[in-house]
Amino acid sequence: MQTRYYLLLFTLLLCLSAQAQKLSTRSGYVRFFSETPLENIEAINEQSSSILNLENGQFAFLVPIKGFVFEKALMQEHFNENYLESGQFPNATFKGQIRDFAALDLEVEGKREIVLVGTMEIHGVSRQVEIPVTLMIAAQEMRIEGELMVKASDYAVKIPAAKKDNINNELALTVKYRYAR
Amino acid sequence: MRVKTLLAGVLLAPGLGWAQDDLLADLESASVPEQEYVLATWKGTKVVNLQTNELPARGVLQYSILHRFGAFNDDFFYNFLGLDNAQVRLTLDYSPYDWLNLGLGHTGVRKTYDGYAKYRLLRQSRGKNAFPFSLTGFSALYYSAQRFNDDLPRNTSDRFSYVHELVIARKFTPRFSAQLVPTLIHFNVQPRRQDNNSVLALGLAARYKFTPQHAITLEYVPQLNGNTYLDPVSGSQRSYTNALSLGVDIETGGHVFQLFITNAPGVAEPYVFAQNTGEVGNGDLHFGFNISRVFTIVKPRQFQE
Repeated sequence: MQTRYYLLLFTLLLCLSAQAQKLSTRSGYVRFFSETPLENIEAINEQSSSILNLENGQFAFLVPIKGFVFEKALMQEHFNENYLESGQFPNATFKGQIRDFAALDLEVEGKREIVLVGTMEIHGVSRQVEIPVTLMIAAQEMRIEGELMVKASDYAVKIPAAKKDNINNELALTVKYRYAR
Repeated sequence: MRVKTLLAGVLLAPGLGWAQDDLLADLESASVPEQEYVLATWKGTKVVNLQTNELPARGVLQYSILHRFGAFNDDFFYNFLGLDNAQVRLTLDYSPYDWLNLGLGHTGVRKTYDGYAKYRLLRQSRGKNAFPFSLTGFSALYYSAQRFNDDLPRNTSDRFSYVHELVIARKFTPRFSAQLVPTLIHFNVQPRRQDNNSVLALGLAARYKFTPQHAITLEYVPQLNGNTYLDPVSGSQRSYTNALSLGVDIETGGHVFQLFITNAPGVAEPYVFAQNTGEVGNGDLHFGFNISRVFTIVKPRQFQE
């Protein structure tokens, strides 16, 4: 009888601890920046969500396309309507793994350069990517921050010939996630 | 036996946890929005003469130039392709909120000055609280400053007319949108006692987007209780005609160009919808355009210093 209760308790604790090993946030920051001699285009999204599993190094983020705010409202409409087609493809996502996770000691506070390996999906197109990011470990929080270059043409986002001088095919994406521990 | 079952459970529990451990699925299920507005039902705030359900975004100032050239059957080449007898309307409007747009306009026809308000009542949306169409109101007041040379006594109120439009719009597919627009046009004074001061019309409009930047638009505004007028040429009574327009929307960055052919050269709503004399069958067709340019006055929070 006693044994059974202990086992039950143990099971529950195990489940709880498994839960506690997942860190998540719903207010991640994603910025994209396109630079051409004619025009710079910038958009900021503060509604990205992300989960990091400390047990096995699995990592995912999701960026709602409609959450990107542009300085010019019309640009935002065109971004959704003509380029990313957010009605059909509402989210951009990444799902993957911290490379060499086993060798990473999460107990030691400080900055680490790590690489996220996995699948990025934008505009309905999936690609294998590697994202070098900085992992910051502190007592109260963990952070993942990084920058990557994304080619619009890789994700079937068409830039019309008339706009080639205004929109760079290569965009810089900055991501910042902060997880409370 | 029971202990063994439990033990097996304990050993399997984390494994089960593994199998269901799809982080992305967790994020996706958490990201389904309660209500997500459908964007860009139309490219501009007008189809041709009718309003659309669109408003410029909050903090945006919009300047529009509306042009109606002379008719193809009115000495078209003598009038330099209709340019010499063109009608012009200018408007300037601003959206203090996402749901409200306020504007001022001037039209050459009868020296008309006007003020208008456009307001969102309901928005087509997806998600848990989905809604099938957008409902937008438009109310305008027009003052004709035209001089009268007949020495008859007149009141200032005689110079006013009003238009109210209720735009019921739906984006059916990313390319196809359509709308119904019950419209009320009221003139404080009509030329004759028997004329209806209030005219009801039912606007119909649709667009098909054939590239992301180009769309074809069609608009027809039949009157339900239209008036007649004495045609000075034939000397007979004729009914005011219903406005019909066919156009193309071209979008380039901050501009929307709308090029079209219409039988209604009045430019301002009261004259277009309730006092139009253009007969399509007689070739009373006019080339016209609406051009709008937007300026961001108040930047979104993310871009404020």
